[in-house]
Amino acid sequence: MTTRYVGAPVLRVEDPAFLRGRAAFIDDIAPPRCLHAAFLRSPHAHARIVRIDTAAAAALPGVHAVLTGEDFCDELPFTTTIATRPECKTGTRRLLPLDKARHVGDPIAVVVADSRYVAEDALDLIVVEWQLLPVVTDPEAALLAGAPLIHEELGSNDFAHITFTAGDPDGVFARAPRTFSKRFHFGRTHAAPLEGRGVVADWDATTGKATVWTSTQMPHLVRGMLAGQFGMPETSLRVICPAVGGGFGLKVQLFVEEAIVPLLSRRLGRPVKWIEDRSEALGASGHSKEVVMDIDLATDDEGRFLALRGRYVGDGGAYLAHPWTSLIDPLCAASFLPSFYDVQDLAYEVRTPFTNKCPSVAYRGVGWTPGQAAREILIDEAARALDIDPVELRLRNAVPDGIPYRSATGASYDGGSFQGAIRRALELVDYDGLRERQATLRAEGRYLGIGVSPFVEQGGWAARIAAVNGFPGFAYLDSASVSMEPDGTVTVAGGFQSNGQGHETTMAQVVADALQVPFESVRVLQGDTDTVPYATGSYGSRTAVVAGGALLRASGDVRAKLLRLGAHLLEASPDDVELVDGLIRVAGTPSRSVTIKQAAAAAYWGPRPDDLDPALSATRSYDPPETFSNACVVAVVEVDARTGQVAIERLLVVEDCGTIVNPLIVDGQVSGAIAQAVGAVLLEGLPYDEHGQFRAATLADFLFPKTTDLPSVEVDHLETPSPVTEGGFKGMGEGGLIGGPSALVNAIADALVPLGAGASVVRTPLRPCDILELIDAARAAV
Amino acid sequence: MSNERLVTVTVNGERRSALAEPRTLLVDFIRHGLGLTGTHVGCEQGGCGACTVVLDGELALACCTLAVQADGATLQTVEGLAPAPDRLHPLQSAFQAEHGLQCGYCTPGMLIAADDLLRRTPDPTEQEIRSHLSGNVCRCTGYTGIVAAVQTAARNLRAQATETRGVTAS
Repeated sequence: MTTRYVGAPVLRVEDPAFLRGRAAFIDDIAPPRCLHAAFLRSPHAHARIVRIDTAAAAALPGVHAVLTGEDFCDELPFTTTIATRPECKTGTRRLLPLDKARHVGDPIAVVVADSRYVAEDALDLIVVEWQLLPVVTDPEAALLAGAPLIHEELGSNDFAHITFTAGDPDGVFARAPRTFSKRFHFGRTHAAPLEGRGVVADWDATTGKATVWTSTQMPHLVRGMLAGQFGMPETSLRVICPAVGGGFGLKVQLFVEEAIVPLLSRRLGRPVKWIEDRSEALGASGHSKEVVMDIDLATDDEGRFLALRGRYVGDGGAYLAHPWTSLIDPLCAASFLPSFYDVQDLAYEVRTPFTNKCPSVAYRGVGWTPGQAAREILIDEAARALDIDPVELRLRNAVPDGIPYRSATGASYDGGSFQGAIRRALELVDYDGLRERQATLRAEGRYLGIGVSPFVEQGGWAARIAAVNGFPGFAYLDSASVSMEPDGTVTVAGGFQSNGQGHETTMAQVVADALQVPFESVRVLQGDTDTVPYATGSYGSRTAVVAGGALLRASGDVRAKLLRLGAHLLEASPDDVELVDGLIRVAGTPSRSVTIKQAAAAAYWGPRPDDLDPALSATRSYDPPETFSNACVVAVVEVDARTGQVAIERLLVVEDCGTIVNPLIVDGQVSGAIAQAVGAVLLEGLPYDEHGQFRAATLADFLFPKTTDLPSVEVDHLETPSPVTEGGFKGMGEGGLIGGPSALVNAIADALVPLGAGASVVRTPLRPCDILELIDAARAAV
Repeated sequence: MSNERLVTVTVNGERRSALAEPRTLLVDFIRHGLGLTGTHVGCEQGGCGACTVVLDGELALACCTLAVQADGATLQTVEGLAPAPDRLHPLQSAFQAEHGLQCGYCTPGMLIAADDLLRRTPDPTEQEIRSHLSGNVCRCTGYTGIVAAVQTAARNLRAQATETRGVTAS
């Protein structure tokens, strides 16, 4: 097949609408007579609701309804568990609580009014009498006997306790020449898309049908879960997803607000809109990645890894992310404990208690991010203790390139460039030169640090990858369709949901090549459950693999029909014709050809073979085998020992996602994920005080990485196509935030080594105040 | 609401009036009063720059400005950037060429801020670009493509200006 578009930096077709301000995001959806909702949220981390007085709020002119938990008593609660994991409890959550608030930001009541301004006025008039309860914000404390219970009916705060052993790790540790241990507390992060959550609903009581517009990454899953919630057929519910102003995994959850707003519309008989404000987004949507980890590594005297042990305690927050649960962080971290290092003896333990904090949800890289950070910083410390260069130590233990390998946790790697990516990265940054410069600068009292973080990234989250990550026993149905219109143009439709990744471009590239038609003749439809085939959405680096694979299959079906139609027009055998560059031609006799347009017209209007079903349309699905991308991140930083400031000098990524669909988009994904890594390590933290009060509710407290916080990210590509997936795609998108934080943490620790504080890096974030504290403590210790 | 008053602005060269309460934010007035939804709300705290517009020649955060404060003022929003319905502004073309946008939510504010920079500083250094755009948050791109786009646009605008001067001279 001639490839013209896959692999080329095709400019995005979606851009002009965004550049002109014409794209419609959720707040641009404005049905006539639309009312506006605002939520009253708990100011307390843990408090019983003694009484709520809504009378004054309800009496305010312009207010249409003020509703509390009592008003939703008859609605089903969210019921969340991992049914295939007997270690899990089942969490339930009422749409609005009847009994108590469980975290600051917990929605308690909702007002519907003529405008958002009036709705917020009314919130101020609601009087709640609270009875404060003891608070627990530390996940390990939440596991102790006598800890305040977040959900009394569960009997404890421990949602899940999962253990896994391969080989004989304890025996190996007992005999190992060298052992190393590290406790690392990865701090809370927030996906924080620039556009928060938002829902608009229009429930037509006369037809029993409802339309829900929501800013999500998974329209069909939202439809299915809401239809179940409301006891209505999926065909009566239409979920439309307008342009999504960033998701990063946050919008892969169903939130209670998405269930409440349609019910408000049903009740009031008018469309209702709720748009999250920034403080709600920061404190009441979802936090991520806070995991406390204890990692042990056993090696021989040459640094060969012999065994690994990991204990992961994830901070689950007050409620379970629906449907993934709070295991999405600690269990994914544990499942990739060995990464691509050849270690067959290992054990892990995972717990994920409830706490009085914002619920933990998925965010780009989920638990792989903290897991990578803990393991990789331990490897750097082991390298220092063994007096082996940290990169050399990794190369000694990396599985070889290009061959299948099965990890001790059961992941089947489909052949990567684990060592090649490291070597290429070293070459590009001139690693030896950097180490020399580091030595020179140290002599001058300047602290340069180098962090190298190679990683393996699951690609294409679907049944098999989910199982490898500890979520076994679920099938995934991701379908997409390809239809050729009578004029030879092509309509692609699927349940993938772009939230910045440019699927309208990449999916068109895949299909244009498969059908040998011009890219411009392919349009891509998404974001409306009434018009696109079922799929579970876009998350987990999956769309190129899963949707791309389904589209290759569907294109193959259409292509086969085009070949038969062309052969019929050419009076040739279908076996003798080929599809090349917009033409169907007799192989070896290129002068005998018809255009695809002629073949398409023949399907609709003839002439065509009598025994051919002429529908030039196919819907296919793909639930791919395991596939894994890999990459290596290098961070070079300079730490100012007087101010604690970290200046980032270079951020370089060598990535290998198999067959690249669009290098422009791959580079953009890498660069964006790396910036989020900078935020996670240097800026974020989302602290709670001892009363469970949230201390980062504005953008003065939660700092986004800005233009001045990082340099341009350098990206280089290796391309090891997957031998097992359709098209060789491996999937990417999350990686920069898997490998980025550990590169930065290790670079900072490396910079701090001469100050005696290298090993005391035990948590993120590492803000200037945190770094000064480490330096001061190290100085006080000598 | 009884306390609404008429606010009149010249936006993107067009004189427009709509009602606003004294407390109505300029960004809500632009979006809902004038129907110019290209300007986005990112935080209502002045912390992200998504609502950046030009108000009487200066960059302004429309989420931290009241609509009544803009009565009689001249505004420019992203809708006023392109020279024609079928043509993009060189900054817009450069953002597409350099992949300076992903989800597109920050893009209007980013373009307005970048346009302001290039009007004042036609040949900015990378540091000047980063400094000028430091009030505009992009959560998607890591800014690599944005900085490259502003550099490309600056180059193209300067070439365009040279060409125009050449045409005028001849």
